[in-house]
Amino acid sequence: MILFALLLIPFSYLMLGLLIKKAKHKKRLALLLATINFLWSMVLVPIIQFKEIIVVQMGSWAAPYGISLVADRFSVLMLVITGFVFFLITIYSTQSVDKERRKNGFFFFSFGILMGVNGSFIAGDLFNLYVWFEVMLMSSFILIGLGGERQQIEGSIKYLILNLISSLFFVAGIGLLYGKLGSLNLADLSYKMALAKDNLAILNPALILIFVGFSIKGALFPFFFWLPASYHTPPPAVTALFAALLTKVGIYSLIRFYTLFLYYDHEFWSQVLLWMGTLSMVIGVIAASSQFDFRKILSFHIISQIGYIVIALGFYTVAGLTAALFFLAHNMLAKTNAFLVAGWVHREKGTLNLKALGDMFNKSPIWGVIFFISAFSLAGLPPLSGFFGKYLVLKAGIESGYILISLIALTVGLFTLFSMVKIWIEVFWKKVPEDSAHDLPLNLKPANWMLFSSLTMALAIVGMGLWATPIVEYCEIAAKDLLTPSKYISYVLGYN
Amino acid sequence: MEYIIAVFIGILYASGVYLILRRSIVKVILGVFVLSNATNLIIFLSGGIKRGGVPFIPEGAESVDPATISDPLPQALILTAIVISLGISAYILALKYRYFDITGTHDLDQLKNTDQR
Repeated sequence: MILFALLLIPFSYLMLGLLIKKAKHKKRLALLLATINFLWSMVLVPIIQFKEIIVVQMGSWAAPYGISLVADRFSVLMLVITGFVFFLITIYSTQSVDKERRKNGFFFFSFGILMGVNGSFIAGDLFNLYVWFEVMLMSSFILIGLGGERQQIEGSIKYLILNLISSLFFVAGIGLLYGKLGSLNLADLSYKMALAKDNLAILNPALILIFVGFSIKGALFPFFFWLPASYHTPPPAVTALFAALLTKVGIYSLIRFYTLFLYYDHEFWSQVLLWMGTLSMVIGVIAASSQFDFRKILSFHIISQIGYIVIALGFYTVAGLTAALFFLAHNMLAKTNAFLVAGWVHREKGTLNLKALGDMFNKSPIWGVIFFISAFSLAGLPPLSGFFGKYLVLKAGIESGYILISLIALTVGLFTLFSMVKIWIEVFWKKVPEDSAHDLPLNLKPANWMLFSSLTMALAIVGMGLWATPIVEYCEIAAKDLLTPSKYISYVLGYN
Repeated sequence: MEYIIAVFIGILYASGVYLILRRSIVKVILGVFVLSNATNLIIFLSGGIKRGGVPFIPEGAESVDPATISDPLPQALILTAIVISLGISAYILALKYRYFDITGTHDLDQLKNTDQR
């Protein structure tokens, strides 16, 4: 029941939202349910401390036959951050998204995304994971095109077709894996792979197909082209939601999949991950430094930051996985907040072209400080959360003997700093260029709630940097759990 | 029978990829449909094909020889996959229609305004 509620809360909006006509009431209901979802995911934190892994068998069918919902410490970490980010974005979008979109189901589909994301984090069954992916993708397809501007439609066609192809890879992989092992339960599959240790080569086609599916979803190096082509087209609140949740679900699945299946052939897969991660880092950050659009720079940085998580996973030590989890959590907050600031700039100026912007700091110093905190947290300056994320990744890398990759990660950090300073100077510092005669949006209402949610997120980033120790300790226990898949297996299949 | 279906899946994948590489958006969308059907057939094939092997255990039987019955699970999975791809197909066609309304073109080359340069 306790896990099932995480699906039921977003689902209840999908049902009740249909009955309500007025935009005002829709807003209230969305705020209420987003709060409940956040609080409910917080409840899981103390429970997971003594229960280790929460397992729910849907419909009381025993483990390998029915569908199980599983939450370990890693899932709970992701659920809590998701709940927090979603809560703040819901508050933010009540003012940022125009009334027409809110009336036509903006919240409906954002709750659809929440349902898919929550479901993916607690799915204990491969096909079930696919179904939640589709719930999430279907909502995001509609959300990215909602409004029907030309740019949006173009972006959504690219986004839709490439993500559909990634789903096809994933399903084909599931089919082949089922044909070989005759099971779909993650724990049962991992257990059966441990038994068939000598003949694992026949599983490779299926594993590679699923791996490619996750890499497209997570926007890793050779598969990232859909992301920068589509993320800057929808309204800023939608981009913030996507940047916070969608690629991270791909990375979550990749980590889960690696620790349960791919580690059997560790020598091969860790090399693949290290190469893909390093290239994502470098290419993302270099491509970002050539852009002159606020959101395009940030979109390319998503790719670069995902590279850090993937190399940390590729080290495959306790320190490495701890770093990956911490970095994932930090990145969801910092990246989202940078997009939220972009949303405010867009609202004030009607454009996000760096060349036409300027002097925003004098307009509102507090938004400037918020951007400063989130951007320099992304770049990895102490005492913000990004510093500890990068420090942990580098430490894990040097400890496992990947000196070159750690050096590259360090250099990429410098380039990130360069891009962030570029945005800072162009948007907040320099004088407004005289020839940029943009017709400003008139009659703006004050953006109090946008400021509130962005400020809360900035405080969370600072807090995550100042009180990093308990979070790192939690991530360390979660990483140890991930490194002993036998524990996951025995809890899900009920051997103890 | 498995071989025939396997070759058939291969042909479907080849034609799907060919369609995806075309310049017209409609053909790309058709290519996605063909690919998703090929994928559904892969799941179908993965359960093994048996002629006339209904997935029922006869009444009163303690155990049953797995070679005589077919596996019902892949068929359930395909059903789910078909429903999902039906929904997405409807949406992608609506999206294409809207795009055509706005721009009056089918050409993928006109679609590069949002790309990184």
